[in-house]
Amino acid sequence: MLESYVFVNIFETKGLEYMLILIFLVGFIIFLRYFEIHKQ
Amino acid sequence: MEITAKKGIKFIISELKPRGELFTPFNIITIPIIALGLIIVAYRFVNGLGSVTNQSQIFAWGLWKGFNVVTGVAFAAGAYIVTFMVYVLRIKKYHSIVKATVLNGFLSYVFYAGALILDLGRPWNIINPIIGNSFGFNSVLFLVAWHFMLYIIAQFVEFSPTIAEWLERKKAKKFLQSLTLGAVVFGITLSLLHQSGLGALFMMAKSKIHPLWYSEFLPILFLASSVPAGLSMVILEGTISRRVFKDLYPKHSSKHLYEEIVFGLAKGAALSLFIYYFFKAIIFIHGRHWSHITDMWGVWYFIEVFGFVLLPCIMYANGYKNRSIGLIRLASLITIVGIMLNRLNISVISFYWNNPNHYYPSWQEYIVALMVISIQIWVFRWVVTRMPVFKESHH
Repeated sequence: MLESYVFVNIFETKGLEYMLILIFLVGFIIFLRYFEIHKQ
Repeated sequence: MEITAKKGIKFIISELKPRGELFTPFNIITIPIIALGLIIVAYRFVNGLGSVTNQSQIFAWGLWKGFNVVTGVAFAAGAYIVTFMVYVLRIKKYHSIVKATVLNGFLSYVFYAGALILDLGRPWNIINPIIGNSFGFNSVLFLVAWHFMLYIIAQFVEFSPTIAEWLERKKAKKFLQSLTLGAVVFGITLSLLHQSGLGALFMMAKSKIHPLWYSEFLPILFLASSVPAGLSMVILEGTISRRVFKDLYPKHSSKHLYEEIVFGLAKGAALSLFIYYFFKAIIFIHGRHWSHITDMWGVWYFIEVFGFVLLPCIMYANGYKNRSIGLIRLASLITIVGIMLNRLNISVISFYWNNPNHYYPSWQEYIVALMVISIQIWVFRWVVTRMPVFKESHH
């Protein structure tokens, strides 16, 4: 049973969700910084 | 005392008289809509829902609930966001828009929650959750009913100092102002719960809503989307009010300050849309909806997410950075259409998407939905032209 489980498939595991969360966190910081350097 | 009461009645009667021109473009459009709408409503109450709507046993919720209630309440969210910023965070910049926003929120709840009565087969039963006749503790509608009622009261308390100022009751105004912070905190608590509660209403309809729009996280999505919806409505309403009621604004009202308010709201809207967009993305991946995006429903879903969530998010951010009021106004309009689309997709468009006899609203339903909005704008106009809504009150 265990042999048939593919650990590296991000579609089968929650890998894609974790990656999206990380993208969101990094993206949110970049997005916030974007507002800080607005034109005077 | 008698003289005061007489004076008061005389004053109210004089204030009820119409002011300004009668034949304005707005009046010419809305008067026939309201007149026709009232006839349809009367006909509906005499002959029942089936006589004017296309609703059925399968499609029990139509345009009035989907548009007026489920969508309208999202746009009233500006009130809890702005009052939170002004009274809790003490950001003084937004103080000049707080009264108009609370009035708009209050009227939205009165009219949109009131529109529920139109959609009930037995409207007299609307009182049941309040009087204890079959409370229905297990129903989300029980929460929504009580929250709507309590929030209307809380918003009335928040707005009441303006009424006292209009009636020149200084002592009453001072007392009512002392209640404001309590009413605001109570109102925010209620808002957070029932904005998400509206989403929870659809959780029991898992098999009826298209999988791309159904999610067990609907309450979170409804709450998250209410923030950009409310902020966008505040921007749009402010834009229209400043043009239509420009004479009512104080002479010293600074254009620069107003623009700073809009930029602040735009930043909030951009950040909240960014968060909402990622909620949509993570729910899409978590639900493994890849197989559902191959048909027209998938295209429709991506139009909503990219065109009406991601696009206005970028426009708001660009508008803020480049100090472009025009771009921000356009973004607010697109956001409003997008949230409207999302709520209608859940409650009407994708509801029983696989049923060959799909529900399409009748022309009478459109007229009544427009009538509700028209009357709300008429009342808003009556209040702002009488009461000091756009003037800064001094504490």
